[in-house]
Amino acid sequence: MPPFMIIDRRTMLAGTAGALAAGIVPGALRRAVAADGEFKIGLLIPLSGPAALFGPSNQGCAELAADEVNAAGGVLGRKIKLIPTDAGAAPAEVAKSVVRLMLEEKVDLVIGSHDSAVRQAVEATVKGKGAKSFYLIGNDYVWARNSNEAAKSYISAGGGTIAGEEYVPLGAPNRFEEIVTRIKGAKPDVVLITVIGADNVNFNRAFASFGLDKDITRLAFLLEENTLQGIGAESSGNLYSCMAYFANVGSEANQKFKAAMKAKFGDKVPQLSTLGADAYAGVHCAKALVDKAGSTEAAAVAAASQGLSFATAGGTATMTGRHVDKDMYLALCKATEFEVVKTFEKIASGQSCPV
Amino acid sequence: MANLGTLVALLVLPFAVGDYWTYQLGLYYLYAMVAVGLGLCWGQAGFLPLGQAMFFGISAYLSAILLKAMPGSYLIYLLLPLAALASGVLALLIGLMVFRRDGGSGPFFSLITLALSMLAFQIASNWNSVTGGFNGLAGIPSLPGIDDFRANYYLAAVALVVVLTLATWLYRAPLGVLWRAIAQNERRVALFGFNPHRYKAIAFAVSGFFAGLAGALYAPQQGLVSPQVVGFAFSAELLVWTAVGGRGRLYGPVLGTLLVGSMTGEMRDGVPYWEVIMAGFFMLVVLVFPQGVIGLFTPVTDRLRRSFDRARQRARIEAPARAEVAAQEPLTIEAARVSASGINILNDLTVAFPPKGVACVIGPNGAGKTSTFNLITGELPASAGSVKVGALDITNQAPYQVARLGFGRKLQAPSVFPELSIGDNLAIALWSNGARPLDLLRLSLRRWSSPIIAELAMRYAFLGKEESPASDLSHGERQILELAMALAVQPRILLLDEPCAGLSADETSRAVDVIRWAAERLGNAVIIIEHDMALVRRIADRVMVLHNGALLAEGSVADIQANPAVQAVYVGGQK
Amino acid sequence: MDPLIITQILNILFGVTTLAMIALGLAITFGMLGVLNLAHGEFVMMGAFCALVVDRAGAPFLLAVPLALLVCGGVGLVVELLLIRPLYRRPFDTLVATWGLSLLLRKLAEAGFGLGFNSVAVPLAGTTTLFGTDYPTYRLVLIVICIAIIAALFAWYGTSRAGLKIKAMVGNPDLARALGMPVKRLATTTFVVGSCLAGLAGVMVAPLVPVHPYLGLDYVIKSFFVLVVGGLGSVLGVVAGTGVIGGLDSVMSALFGSTQAYFTVLVVAILFLWLKPRGLFAHG
Repeated sequence: MPPFMIIDRRTMLAGTAGALAAGIVPGALRRAVAADGEFKIGLLIPLSGPAALFGPSNQGCAELAADEVNAAGGVLGRKIKLIPTDAGAAPAEVAKSVVRLMLEEKVDLVIGSHDSAVRQAVEATVKGKGAKSFYLIGNDYVWARNSNEAAKSYISAGGGTIAGEEYVPLGAPNRFEEIVTRIKGAKPDVVLITVIGADNVNFNRAFASFGLDKDITRLAFLLEENTLQGIGAESSGNLYSCMAYFANVGSEANQKFKAAMKAKFGDKVPQLSTLGADAYAGVHCAKALVDKAGSTEAAAVAAASQGLSFATAGGTATMTGRHVDKDMYLALCKATEFEVVKTFEKIASGQSCPV
Repeated sequence: MANLGTLVALLVLPFAVGDYWTYQLGLYYLYAMVAVGLGLCWGQAGFLPLGQAMFFGISAYLSAILLKAMPGSYLIYLLLPLAALASGVLALLIGLMVFRRDGGSGPFFSLITLALSMLAFQIASNWNSVTGGFNGLAGIPSLPGIDDFRANYYLAAVALVVVLTLATWLYRAPLGVLWRAIAQNERRVALFGFNPHRYKAIAFAVSGFFAGLAGALYAPQQGLVSPQVVGFAFSAELLVWTAVGGRGRLYGPVLGTLLVGSMTGEMRDGVPYWEVIMAGFFMLVVLVFPQGVIGLFTPVTDRLRRSFDRARQRARIEAPARAEVAAQEPLTIEAARVSASGINILNDLTVAFPPKGVACVIGPNGAGKTSTFNLITGELPASAGSVKVGALDITNQAPYQVARLGFGRKLQAPSVFPELSIGDNLAIALWSNGARPLDLLRLSLRRWSSPIIAELAMRYAFLGKEESPASDLSHGERQILELAMALAVQPRILLLDEPCAGLSADETSRAVDVIRWAAERLGNAVIIIEHDMALVRRIADRVMVLHNGALLAEGSVADIQANPAVQAVYVGGQK
Repeated sequence: MDPLIITQILNILFGVTTLAMIALGLAITFGMLGVLNLAHGEFVMMGAFCALVVDRAGAPFLLAVPLALLVCGGVGLVVELLLIRPLYRRPFDTLVATWGLSLLLRKLAEAGFGLGFNSVAVPLAGTTTLFGTDYPTYRLVLIVICIAIIAALFAWYGTSRAGLKIKAMVGNPDLARALGMPVKRLATTTFVVGSCLAGLAGVMVAPLVPVHPYLGLDYVIKSFFVLVVGGLGSVLGVVAGTGVIGGLDSVMSALFGSTQAYFTVLVVAILFLWLKPRGLFAHG
């Protein structure tokens, strides 16, 4: 009987061990891990629905990681085999309803690593641009609200003011003309964006079409390559993104990662983005955790997480408690490309994860 | 029987398919439970809810909250059914509120359930303190005693079989027959004294309960409940599974869920354009094969069942006789006015029908004859005036309320339930005055018969072919079947709207005999709308002539024929 | 007046007119043929992709209009003949079948264009000053075009023979057939016109939103609400319905916020479906 366990990106990023122990992976599955044969990792990735857009990237990156781990002797001496499972299998994990699905994928990504970057990014804009007033716009759910709470405290600590704060529902067909009009009236220096997915595209396009992009800086906390493609060159002026991974990051680790992807997939390299990079890190994290713990027992895994290091696309990450320390980048959009303008090194996740 | 076989098959299945499928199927059994409920609404009762996920999800959230509040407590086994019941009650309330309105059970009901599930999704995503917001509730403990995926599988399998067994019973019980009857002709059911809205709401409640049961088990099985479980996307998937599997049969939705649902997870990775193929296949099913995949097997299984049934002929049971009415009372209409879009259909109509004997209502087209019947049976509202039986005012009561007072009606176009057997058609008529609400769960009611039906079957042999579907009958036979149904009710007042339309001279003559025989046997009032004066002469004790929505003349046949005003109307009409 | 208030008024006008434009096609198929076309949003999506193709080819934006009419009209014709016609008067089956169609069209778009977000360059980029406020030029032009199309349809439906025929057909199809009216052809034409209007709406919104295969989902539900509130079978109903739904949405989100606006729209739609399913103009 095939032994397997499932690590999804939510588990992975929510601070792996803690989440495992908390039972996000159905407890029933853990028993099934046997001691011999291949080490099978069920990879929950979106293969259907609009988020399937990220599927090839996730799968490709995870495969690369599996190859690397296997070349280095596998996990507990056993070779990794990835079993890609469509996240659409369970409605709790994903609804086919696209936007939502994609949003949820991004939620996963956000939980582990984004809260911490808010501070650095806000401080960088305050210092670099002398920004005084901020307008906050986000999707109405926990990550956006938490991020904005954090942002507000950094802003007031830095002497800035909040010109306005707005939330739009997740997964609803939103229009942004009204909000953009209010922003126009409030005349902030910076807009902090925590809307995601199609909303992110819609907002930024509406923002630019009202001509606000010339005078107001936008800073998004979840804006990756594909969303930028949708925003388009004409609407991406004065727009920054702050995340843990950009395909254009110049770091040595990323060059190696990109070269390895190129070597594996040739011309068919999937679009690299932070989502794929997380899948890559997820597999490496699983290896490091299980190797160190010596088993997949939840308690052992939890104990092993402290101080654990593992490879990511952006470099080596270290876990502290339930959180992952890694480099974050601030990038400016040039047409539909990101140009990294600042690197924040070894950022520790400062807040407990909301899961 | 079939359910026992299913249970055994489900219990041994894990040994054949391995751990991965065991895990997967455990989840899909829960989905199948929801799909069975959807099949019950759509395939049986004839309305299509688009938000079943809402009932699944609400119960899943309740279950998750309870499990987190009391991890490891065995009390949870008492509380989970209550969580499921909560979904059922919510469905009942929605059903009762929505079905009684204009929109009824058509697309408006579907859109309401769709909008409600979208609303539920937004509430689940935003009510952070209770639902955990968009991220949902995670870390839900397992049920005590259920500690691995295999145990979860068996729990889900047993739950599915419980749901199937309940549904089997309901489908066979009179209640199920009524649901199918409502789907075919709701108006006719109401005219037999059943409140169709209530029965549809009950169907909806049952489906909500099934979905709730699945949701309550989902939370501990998956350990995570997020807003997607109440959302529209999940509801839509259930719809596809149910349609492809076959909505009309108990096992159709189960088959669809297990085939399409669980296969999709597998095939999507391997087969390019799998979803394009599925979408095309789905449309094909709707277009040319509405019975769904299960329809491939039903010819065989139905034959098996029929031969099985024939092997043990079941005796008929005498239906309880209608409580005798102490004294017959006249039906009077006083100064009744009915109007539609500004035109008065009935214009201060005043007429009294004697408590016994045959009265014929005649009049030129548009005189308001059928409208008078519709007024009496509560289908057309009166803006003024009154309808009374004796001293009892029945003005503007709902059709089913009027019918319960002892009104029987035969509609102008034969209105039987074509997809039910002749026996079930007649049985519905018997239930209409002899069955208490809870009786509708007793299977033996399907075998009710009555002396009147037996005597009618002597006159018309086809009425004895209880098992054959009414759709096999000719137009004339349907007229007789509906007449027989109207008589089986043993009404105090029987309204017949052109009972002999479309019958041959010979058939007409037999039908007239039956009507006269019945009027004497039941000792009731019979009111007939008729065009054919020859027929009126043969059958009528008294004649009422309507013209322009008011009573023009009344009297014996001879009086009427001699009445100059009536002659003027008829002759004038022919000029 | 405060230029911001003028901008918000223009926003409301913009929201209402574009929604009306999208709902119009659906109103024609749902209101006149009784066809609940859940794939309506996918026709909008196809129209938007036509604009994308034109944009990528570097051709003038206006070329997208004939292309979208051709594509959506053509697909609409095939769909009517193969899928809709056999299912007239079976509303649930139509609903389910068109849902399957919407899946199919989405998947085909996905196969052809991938799942990524695409953007169409805004024609007439920049802003125009109107009543002392800057408003995006393209949106202003859209408002004018939408009003013109709705007015034209209003006039055509109210006065022309074709409008009369459709009214007759809706009122009593059997009688219409008996009178020798080509009911089938009329139904086909009506459906194709509805599809073309959806495609046209798709072209119009393409430069404003991310063009992707799931674009249509956003619109179809709201359009249904519009029809429910406005009532079926008249252009006036569509205008009134969008006035209520689009207006509520815009006003609520201008005053309170988008979440509140979305809640309000859902609740109002449910109340209408429940209490006044025949719309604003129904009696009783």
